[in-house]
Amino acid sequence: MALLVGGVSSYFISQSLREREQSQAIRSLSEALETVQSTASIAAFTNDKQLAGEVIQGLLRNSDILSVTIVVAGDTVLANGMRSSAKVFAPEFMDKPLSQPLASPFNKNETIGKIILQADWPTIEARVKQSTRDTLYLLLAEMIIVVLSVAAVMVFFVIRPIKKISDRLHQIEPGLGSSILVPEGHEKTEIGRLVGDINDLTGRLMMLLEEARAMQRQQQVAQRKYQNLFDCAVSGIFVADRDGHLDSFNQAFATLMWRSKPVNQENLSLFDAAWSRSDLIRSLLVLALEQETIGRIVADDFLLLDRRGEERWLSIAVTAPGDGTLQGTMTDVTARKREEMHARQLASLDALTGFANRQGLLEAIGQHAARGHAQTSFALVILNLDGFKQINESLGLPAGDEVLGIVAERIRQFIQPGDIPARSGGDEFVILFDGASPESAVDQRLNQFFSLLQQSHAMMTLEGTRVISLRASAGVAFYPKDGTNVHQLLRSAELALMSARTAGSHSYHFFEPSMLVAVEHRRRIEDDLKQAIGEGELYLGFQPIINLAAGKVIGAEALMRWAHPTRGMVSPDVFIPLAEEIGVIGELGLLVLENACRVVSQWRSVGHPLYVSVNVSALQIPNLLPPSVVLDALKRHGLPDDAIAIEITEGVLMGNVGAALEWMAELGAAGLRIYLDDFGTGYSSLSYLKRFPLNAVKIDKSFIRDLAEDSNDKALVNAIITMATSLTLDVIAEGVETEAHFKMLRDMGCHLGQGFLFSPAVKAELFADTVVDIEQRLALMNAAD
Amino acid sequence: MKLNSLAYWFIAFLSVIAPCHARADLVVVTGPKTGVPTLSKEEVINIYLGRYRRLPNGLPAEPLDMGEASETKKEFYWKLVEKTPAEINAYWARLVFSGQTRPPATVNSSDEVAARLMSRPGVLAYVEREKLDKRFVILYEFDR
Repeated sequence: MALLVGGVSSYFISQSLREREQSQAIRSLSEALETVQSTASIAAFTNDKQLAGEVIQGLLRNSDILSVTIVVAGDTVLANGMRSSAKVFAPEFMDKPLSQPLASPFNKNETIGKIILQADWPTIEARVKQSTRDTLYLLLAEMIIVVLSVAAVMVFFVIRPIKKISDRLHQIEPGLGSSILVPEGHEKTEIGRLVGDINDLTGRLMMLLEEARAMQRQQQVAQRKYQNLFDCAVSGIFVADRDGHLDSFNQAFATLMWRSKPVNQENLSLFDAAWSRSDLIRSLLVLALEQETIGRIVADDFLLLDRRGEERWLSIAVTAPGDGTLQGTMTDVTARKREEMHARQLASLDALTGFANRQGLLEAIGQHAARGHAQTSFALVILNLDGFKQINESLGLPAGDEVLGIVAERIRQFIQPGDIPARSGGDEFVILFDGASPESAVDQRLNQFFSLLQQSHAMMTLEGTRVISLRASAGVAFYPKDGTNVHQLLRSAELALMSARTAGSHSYHFFEPSMLVAVEHRRRIEDDLKQAIGEGELYLGFQPIINLAAGKVIGAEALMRWAHPTRGMVSPDVFIPLAEEIGVIGELGLLVLENACRVVSQWRSVGHPLYVSVNVSALQIPNLLPPSVVLDALKRHGLPDDAIAIEITEGVLMGNVGAALEWMAELGAAGLRIYLDDFGTGYSSLSYLKRFPLNAVKIDKSFIRDLAEDSNDKALVNAIITMATSLTLDVIAEGVETEAHFKMLRDMGCHLGQGFLFSPAVKAELFADTVVDIEQRLALMNAAD
Repeated sequence: MKLNSLAYWFIAFLSVIAPCHARADLVVVTGPKTGVPTLSKEEVINIYLGRYRRLPNGLPAEPLDMGEASETKKEFYWKLVEKTPAEINAYWARLVFSGQTRPPATVNSSDEVAARLMSRPGVLAYVEREKLDKRFVILYEFDR
């Protein structure tokens, strides 16, 4: 290759040298001609052969010139000469003579002859060759010197230091991370830097090696640890293939699976045990393999029956690591299972009665319904005690519990095999009458039961023995007629129960589809009520309260009225409980208070010193109608404190007594009067009258209605009036409907009264006319006496 | 003679004050027996600078030259070939050694010119028009 390059390059060099030498020769010949030209032209001018000959001789002294001829006008040769030493006179060189015209020395434009010069080309060639050869030799020598110098530099500055580095690298102990020394004199050269880099690299490699070793040690330790964990774990650990063939397992696993029975480690399967449901284990394995990609752990509990028939619950958790195998753990959960079963039993039992509780009931009904014969039928009876709340409140919770116990006892006496009794909460019992059909049979049985329940029972209380008679309401639903699942059935029975309660005490109703309609109806009224509050369909009516002795109207009771756009007037007895139930009673109460204040202040502004009493529901006390709100409303309308009276029911006094007392005290202290409404209908305890800051009692209209005819009522009313008067309480008679009522009450000393005799509740704007009308009529009546 | 020297001095003066030599009016003449009526400028050049050694009629030509310091010589060669006497000398110097060609013979006075011109045919000279002798034949006149 080097030879080829050298040959080619020397060929080109020699070519270029040749050309240069040739052109050099031609130039030198031309120059020689130039120098002799003036003399030659003189010789030609004068035809001086001698001079021409001298010129020729001078030119022939140049070794490159072979021959010279000077010619004058007419191609006459003036003189010529030829090198004597010319040995080779090759004709091929004759075709390149140099010819120079000669001008007259005195007229440049006149050509008088020419000088013809024949170069000695062979000589020139020879010289060119020689010169080329010399140059090539020189170049060759130069190259050799350069190569040798480069080689020497390489040897001294590169190869030897690298050899040295290599030797030192060989001596390095690979694990120790020792570094190699920089060769002398190379501290700042690339070699030195290379050594530095190698040292850095070895340092890094050492670090990596060290890390790898540490990791290896860690792995060994971890493996030992895991081996220990595996061997000593209390849980069973196993690795199996997809068919359950065990690859490896620990001692705990063997113990759990096979007790102390010695096992042959080879060819064992997860299924080599007395599983009660090995198909479930198989599906667990399949599930784990399906979840292989996400590596989720699936687990379940399985029952194992050992040889002695002992039950063992084992929990197996399996995961598929992704290589088609399965890893799993196994723990003995027998104890937990037993506890769970026990707890489930407990959870479905009512501690007080020993009946199933609601949960147990649902399960039992579910099981009953799930037996799934086409002939299966049963009746579900929901039983609710009447007045149980009052018993609890008046006699105390232990008495309530005793009552529940009695009921349970009577149910137990009554039921037949196959029936399921349950207490679903509070005073609510549920009885499943098995195979109950037809309805008439159930009807008969319930009749028996109700009379059994009603039998009086003597209870020991703190105050002494008390005889109570238990009453209840019940709703009945039939399976499958009134519902095909537990919840439907319960719902139907509950609706029937509600219907029975509405109808009155101690009765039972069978479910009828129309009850659902009634419920729907109620729901619609609820919706309408909410809407009515928003749209102002509710308004206040005012029923005058009359001072019976004076025959004057002194105030009015504000009564909420609802003019429904399609149903007409809706009774407060319907919508007030609804409002309480759906949670809008607070809003309604504020509406009543605000309107009442506005109306009173209007009356007072035109000179009627009347007051208005407003009804406050137990639910509004104390938070939905705080005293501050009442007082604030009065203040805003510029009313004195006695312009508004508050009517409460006994319900208020039976609830949170402390809070109610405080609420009443605060309003009473501010000067508001507080009336006890519907007096005589509930548990009207005289102690209320003493304990609570009341200003008046309102005698319920049921006492007034038969006042003229019923001597008992008369005596009762008289007693109430007498007692109230002695307690300095005002008495207001409600439901004064006849003149007879009016006169009797007036004569009994009842201060105040209201009723249709005087006026129903009227709209505020009609009230002034009503007052005039009443007072005129009373004046007439009084005058008639 | 006195008059001649006065004219000489006058011409010398003129030549000093004038940068150009072309003041004197030069003509090329020959003797009456030569038998050539006239010469062209080229013929004058060829004869005076050694190319031809014979006149057109075959008579050997014998040109005369003035002395080295002569203003006339100086003017003649300038007018003829635009060369200084030094250049003319250098020209001849190359030829003399060959021995074949000789430069014109030199004369030092106009009397000698006249004598030579009259001595035989074929002699040529250049003179100032003022010094023209009635016997001389004008061969060539420089343009004025």
